[in-house]
Amino acid sequence: MLTLLNIAFRNLLQAKRRTILLSFAVAVVALLFLVLRSVSASVSERMIESATTLSAGHVNVGGFFKSRRKGNDPLVTERSAVKSFVKEQVPEAVSVIDRSRGWGRLISGASSINVGFNGIEWEEEDRFFNALRLAPEKEYRSAGGDRTYGSFDDLKKPNTVLIFAAQAKKLEVGVGDTLTFVTEASGGQSNTVDLQIVAIASDIGFMSNWSVFVPRQTLLDLYRISSDTTGVIMVYLKRAEQAEAVMGRLRQALKDKGWTVMDHDPNPFFIKFDRVAGEDWLGQRLDLTIWSDEISFVLWVTTALDLVSFFVIGVLAVIIIGGIMNAMWMSVRERTKEIGTMRAIGAQKGFVIQMFVVEALLLGLIASCIGITFGGLGLAIVNSLELPIKSEGVRLFLMSNTFRFVLHPMQFVSTVLLFSLITGLAALYPALKASKLRPVEALMQSK
Amino acid sequence: MQWCRLFMLGLSFPLQAFALDEAKTKDLVKLIDDRQRNSGDYSSIVFIDQKEKDGSNKAFEARVYRRDADDKWMILFTKPKAEAGKGYLRVEKNLFLYEPALGKWERQTERASIGGTNSRRDDFDESRLADEYEAKFVADEKLGRFEVHRLKLNAKPGVEVGSPILELWVDKDSKNVLKRQEMALSGKLLRTVYYPAWEKMFSKSKNAEVFVPKEIRVFDEVEKGNSTTVVLRDVKLDSLESNMFTKAWLESQSK
Repeated sequence: MLTLLNIAFRNLLQAKRRTILLSFAVAVVALLFLVLRSVSASVSERMIESATTLSAGHVNVGGFFKSRRKGNDPLVTERSAVKSFVKEQVPEAVSVIDRSRGWGRLISGASSINVGFNGIEWEEEDRFFNALRLAPEKEYRSAGGDRTYGSFDDLKKPNTVLIFAAQAKKLEVGVGDTLTFVTEASGGQSNTVDLQIVAIASDIGFMSNWSVFVPRQTLLDLYRISSDTTGVIMVYLKRAEQAEAVMGRLRQALKDKGWTVMDHDPNPFFIKFDRVAGEDWLGQRLDLTIWSDEISFVLWVTTALDLVSFFVIGVLAVIIIGGIMNAMWMSVRERTKEIGTMRAIGAQKGFVIQMFVVEALLLGLIASCIGITFGGLGLAIVNSLELPIKSEGVRLFLMSNTFRFVLHPMQFVSTVLLFSLITGLAALYPALKASKLRPVEALMQSK
Repeated sequence: MQWCRLFMLGLSFPLQAFALDEAKTKDLVKLIDDRQRNSGDYSSIVFIDQKEKDGSNKAFEARVYRRDADDKWMILFTKPKAEAGKGYLRVEKNLFLYEPALGKWERQTERASIGGTNSRRDDFDESRLADEYEAKFVADEKLGRFEVHRLKLNAKPGVEVGSPILELWVDKDSKNVLKRQEMALSGKLLRTVYYPAWEKMFSKSKNAEVFVPKEIRVFDEVEKGNSTTVVLRDVKLDSLESNMFTKAWLESQSK
């Protein structure tokens, strides 16, 4: 092996220009691949963080209550009993909380928006408040400064609301202002409540555009529902990957305990209204989902991003393969005498193949290492600078107010391995052709 | 002082003569419903003008169809071109919206706004106040140049209505509703609706007169500055096609 590496290294040095050009191409594509993967991973991680902060736990126990055949109230009755049972059945959970849910129109003097309302118990929401930060005024007022106003603690008071910076900007409001929320209470009757803004938090991606948070009792009073009802019980685990297994276990346990559980539908609860309204049953049915189900309507973003990344990289890889193959062909032609000599003194076909493939692998390895080094350094520098994103569209897409990219060691390792493999495979065909050269013919051709 | 008491009693007498007791209030509300109800079919062309508080305007032309006997109702948008073919259909107490561009039917709540305006289904549908509300007499007042009864209506328990609390100003002479205010459960005023003009028509199927509003003006009291004006024209009480109030019929009009 050392001999092969030695030969490969010397040959790369010998054809300097070709090596530099090919290395540059491979390095650039590897860098691009790393950046695209980092962007995708960042969006994906932020989406998980956003979803599990704003609207879902790792596992969710929601449900519907039908008091009429055509009804579909997204409620869980027997809140205390269900919540205790869930806590009992998932001892490994980091936390189990519940939130009431609503939907309606939030109106200020200047504008109005449709939002989802979350009724929270302040004492249970450490995780939530730790994930938020108060928005500096400049995030929602054009002439605003760096100062923050309000406090999350004030959400303990009744008829208060926490909104996000983009919402405050649209509604043209600040901390202390009053908003009117209009919705349909139970029985479909309109109801309103005036809410005082006690805190404005920085956006957590575009999902925070649709969510506001109020004290739980405020929501119960608005909807005229009993205190032993809730919208969803949210289970937080140490690792999101455990969610599916925990959901399966919990589903069975709830069924065994006597609750009716709906079949798993990997969609957010609000997608199921029509279907549930059309179903012919009454009473309570529980609906279990995991975090990815509740944001399935936006997961297409990361899927699309991954597809685009792979398509772009695929096209570039094909170009690289073409380049490598061409270079190897040229190398084979230049080294025909060498191949003939080696074969004449006893080198096997396998050795010839390995010689060229190892050369290409080494090229790919060195070039991709250079690429990921520069890529990683560049991303790390951008992360450290915390550059603000001016464009709202880009902010919503990247789900962040600053350029921040996720860098995992596995991204580097897999990029190097992938491009080494690509270059190695690209050299395979020319290497095979070279190995089939008969020693006599090879020596004669070189004359 | 005796003469003072007599004077006050005499003064209050004409006022008491106009005030409505519970029974008369109930009868008035029933009359309001009855005058607007037609036992046969109903069709009209409506022009809807929506004004937003940011100054933008939207205008639509649509056709409204009703079959009060079966509680069926439909509105089919005909103009502008972008909205043509869109429609709302109410059957068996379900309201559906049809989007021709998507070819999709979507269930709506009874409180859904029609075409994104401040108008709702019940602005175009028959009046069912006596079935849905308990009415109380509030006072006799003047509304502009009209002498009116002011009534307060609260939704009956278990009845699905958009506005749980209403106040009506009913013309004493014509018994037509001139003004209506709708409140939320919290008491907050949501909408004010004016009926500046009514038309009297003879219904063959009912063999009696039917009153239809010629114009409806809706003002959003929460998002001040938003308002909708609905003008009704070409109202007909003739029979409509029997298969009209179906999804298939509405879809066929969109093609």
